[in-house]
Amino acid sequence: MSVRQEEMARRLGVDRECPEGADTVSRRGFVKLLGASIALAGLDGCTRMPASNILPYADQPELTPGIPQYYATSMVLDGFATGLLVESHEGRPTKVEGNPDHPASLGAAGVYEQASVLQLYDPHRAGRVRHRLGTSSWKELAAVLAPSTLRARVGAGGAGLFLLLEPTSSPLDSELLDRLIGMYPAAGVHFYSPFARLNDSLLPQYDVSEADVIVAVDADFLATGPFHLRYARDFAARRRPEASRGMNRLYAIEPSVTVTGTAADHRIAVRPGEIVPALEVLLAAIRGTPGQRSGPGPDWVAPIARDLRAHGDRSLIVAGPYLPERARALAHQINLALGNIGRTIWFSRSPLLGAGDERHSLARLVDALRAGHVDTLICVGGNPSYATPGALGVASLIRRVPQTVYLGLYENETARDCQWMVPAAHFLESWSDARAYDGTLSIVQPLIEPLAGGKTSAELLSLLLGMPDAHPYDLLRQAWRGRGNFGDGSDFEDGWRKILGRGVVEGSSFPREQAGSAALTPDAQRQRSLPIEILFRPDARVRDGAFANNGWLQELPDPVTTLTWGNAAHLSPATAQRFGAVTGDLLDIQSAGLTVRIPALVMPGHADDTVTVHFGYGRDGSEALARGVGVDVYPLWPDGAFTAGASVTRMPSASHRTLAITQPHHTLDASKPARAMTLDEYSRLGPRKPSRSLTLYEPQASLPDGPARQQWAMTIDLGACIGCGACMVACQAENNVPVVGHDDVVRGREMHWLRIDWYAARSGEPATIAQPMLCQQCEKAPCEYVCPVEATVHSSDGLNEMVYNRCVGTRFCSNNCPYKVRRFNWFDYSAGLSPIEGLVKNPDVTVRERGVMEKCTFCVQRIRQAEIAARLDGRRPVREGEIQTACQQTCPTRAIVFGSLTEKDGQVARDRRNPRAYAALEDLGTEPRVLYLARVRNSASEGDRRK
Amino acid sequence: MAQLFAPRANVVVRSVLVAAGALAVCASFAVWAFARSPAATGQYRRPEQPIPFSHPLHVNALQIDCRYCHTGAERSTMAGMPPTKACVPCHRDDLLQTSLFAPLRQSLSSGRGIAWRRVTSLPDFVFFDHAVHVRTGVACESCHGPVQLMHELYQAAPLTMESCLGCHRAAAAGYDRGRLTSCTTCHR
Repeated sequence: MSVRQEEMARRLGVDRECPEGADTVSRRGFVKLLGASIALAGLDGCTRMPASNILPYADQPELTPGIPQYYATSMVLDGFATGLLVESHEGRPTKVEGNPDHPASLGAAGVYEQASVLQLYDPHRAGRVRHRLGTSSWKELAAVLAPSTLRARVGAGGAGLFLLLEPTSSPLDSELLDRLIGMYPAAGVHFYSPFARLNDSLLPQYDVSEADVIVAVDADFLATGPFHLRYARDFAARRRPEASRGMNRLYAIEPSVTVTGTAADHRIAVRPGEIVPALEVLLAAIRGTPGQRSGPGPDWVAPIARDLRAHGDRSLIVAGPYLPERARALAHQINLALGNIGRTIWFSRSPLLGAGDERHSLARLVDALRAGHVDTLICVGGNPSYATPGALGVASLIRRVPQTVYLGLYENETARDCQWMVPAAHFLESWSDARAYDGTLSIVQPLIEPLAGGKTSAELLSLLLGMPDAHPYDLLRQAWRGRGNFGDGSDFEDGWRKILGRGVVEGSSFPREQAGSAALTPDAQRQRSLPIEILFRPDARVRDGAFANNGWLQELPDPVTTLTWGNAAHLSPATAQRFGAVTGDLLDIQSAGLTVRIPALVMPGHADDTVTVHFGYGRDGSEALARGVGVDVYPLWPDGAFTAGASVTRMPSASHRTLAITQPHHTLDASKPARAMTLDEYSRLGPRKPSRSLTLYEPQASLPDGPARQQWAMTIDLGACIGCGACMVACQAENNVPVVGHDDVVRGREMHWLRIDWYAARSGEPATIAQPMLCQQCEKAPCEYVCPVEATVHSSDGLNEMVYNRCVGTRFCSNNCPYKVRRFNWFDYSAGLSPIEGLVKNPDVTVRERGVMEKCTFCVQRIRQAEIAARLDGRRPVREGEIQTACQQTCPTRAIVFGSLTEKDGQVARDRRNPRAYAALEDLGTEPRVLYLARVRNSASEGDRRK
Repeated sequence: MAQLFAPRANVVVRSVLVAAGALAVCASFAVWAFARSPAATGQYRRPEQPIPFSHPLHVNALQIDCRYCHTGAERSTMAGMPPTKACVPCHRDDLLQTSLFAPLRQSLSSGRGIAWRRVTSLPDFVFFDHAVHVRTGVACESCHGPVQLMHELYQAAPLTMESCLGCHRAAAAGYDRGRLTSCTTCHR
């Protein structure tokens, strides 16, 4: 274990590679198994292809079997669309990529987008229309909700009819809702999701690329939120010291550790209650009226104020969405004082329906439910019985409503509380539209017919309008034709086809609006001083719980903590010490009158006397994978605020839970595996000397065949990498990497080909470096020498090949790999998948079986396909940029570059000459084809000195 | 104490050792030979098809090109099988009504494809691309044999790794043999 990785692990409170999960086998049992293995190994060697059939189409659609097709669609989260391109093999979507034409994606995709395809094939999705306990049908529901029947129940005006929808920006939904209100003028329409920005009618838009100094105030704008992919791209573009426009500088002021915080040049841990006073001081300092309200303030404010003033209108304050109103207003005032409004930040109308309108809030619905005004409640998506503040008691209120209908993907907590359950169509099965965060119109088009007969929200709304058989495609086309979105008078069909092809309507973003004055309201809550503050946050993997049944996301290590399969209460080391707790110890946290028992996770860099908990776990619907994983903290959540007072009690010492944290797994045995430097150190760097190891032999003459024209290599810029984990899920989707489950993760058997190692940048400082670690494709690969069956060999184009069908599973290669990137199939993880689960597999990659070693191959299937395509085109060499590995393609920050060394002017060759370039464990002489570019910190003191 | 073994015991021991050695060699050879024999490779295997489709009739008598039905051969990884509807335009209606064509009629009415038995089958860990072979001058017959003469289609090549590598190793000048014999050319 490297010193700094060890420090990270120790900080997190985990120290052994193989903790007490490891099974013990008796000597006698071991010999028995050994004998049986030898006897059976002979039989296993005989393979005979089973007889199989070829099933051609009876009537072939417009496709050639074997050639994948790509469709543009959009994924909607909290109402905001992110444009995607989805790969389809013979009508079966297998892989999601970002849509380069879409402003929220720019070609990148995040973890949710990447993992969404697994959710499509989730066998636990609801598959039938249910009424109470019995199977029912859409037709029967249509009879119950038909206008004539429903009017008799809810009154002619529809006063007893209430709808609770997930936040939506869909113009189609909007039109249908308008028609519905026309039909039932008194009906209530409410929107809710735990993290939706429904209170703001104006949304801040940032141009991160224009900002020289960025201050993120409890804002994880690089890894969460609707436009994070774009912000991460713009931010990273100016993290390379070579960049012509100079490096930007990021300050993060935050209580809990976020991805944005780890990427920051200066990170300041503050308690939530300290943020507003600090911003007041900052505002006063920038306006030049120091000490106006609260004296000098904390000592970190003055340097930030100096830096901000020095950069004038080329700075940006990003206020997090979970901050109290006053903090966000202060941030706005600071931006105003600096002259940033209109330059790095401006405002546009919220595309969400009902945004900023109190009448459409959940609170109003709860009032109506409590008063007993609700006769028929229709929940469209979301999971209100689970994902609502515990104090509101929404679940029991829903159960009391005489007639309830739920449209959802799963038979979850809300489905259980509703009489009618209608399976929802996944977005990859739906026709719809939506707007991106900046208002850009995007198309949602299906890749496949609904697998389980799911219905879209538009279908449910048109059922209420008395059109139960309307097809969502017709509804959408009608709506678009009626709106005349193409404007230029050209043929509708042409425009429509073009939009389906691109997935996005260009130039449809909302115009800039005059920002309101955002008057500072007097602060009512200031005086309250809380002994322990508790922060509620969406989980980086399961979000509000909507993705809890997704194995890829459950097994994705949390960025920063590397926790998988569950949640924990994050505490600072000092606070944990006060409670005498270490990582895994159970704590009783009391808030909002309720108590929840949750394991602690000691997180260095966390603010003291503060606890951060994440939503989305402790599910008890019928989602088999999500059930019982982690702890539900919604009961602790008081209404309306993401921060609250809490009390914490440590449980007796026996109460301990093993957390599946991957930080101590697969550690590199070196003192300095990842590198970071200051800008000063960077400017003193000489040109990079390629460290060829000494040898007594003549340089190897080329083989008779000659080396291949391409020599594949990769560089990863740690300055750009923020460790968000999108590459890990992309790799898993592309390469059929299996999910192993909590217990096997505890045993260190997770199968990710690409992992993100977190290192402490310096001892004693909370700063961290994320280093994606994958097969380094060593030119002198230690694994190749020790394979007894030549299952891992070198190709002439410089790949370290892994031949699954030859591997006998000695694991010598993994033992000899210094980078610990080889993964062994301890079980037949892909056996026993239901037919529907098998559909997610990439047909271009072998599905490995038990007893076989596997590892990153630089997406060799993509390389070979591009080579074949180049040959079919009559071109010989493959051009750089023609091949993108899965991790590279999805990377929001473009940290990963892949190409051939033989292209001397290519990005990879140039990056390898960069003075920041280094090889991991360089002194071993393995000559890796992956090089890293060291992270450069642009800390304020140095930057000032350089001026 | 008397000798336990008579002198001839030495002979017995030696001959047993020699025989065992010979057996080991023969057995290894037998396994080696069997693995390459049609019994193991399935060469000349002739599965019964739902419709006794005659390639000679279509290829020789009617002069239909392979690519007319196997449309993907030049473009895709798979050569592709014609959809059921592709058979209909050429065939006379009264012929289609015969019992021979019952699976075809069933396919048309149900919308499900005809379940042809696979003749040329590669394992799942082998990724073969038809387009690149056909377009670089590998004739269909090189692997599929004289299909135009097969009244019943059979597996012409042994389809062992040796039979693939035979060509890849002997690729003409101008091809990168090192690349063509890399494991990941076929195994991914």
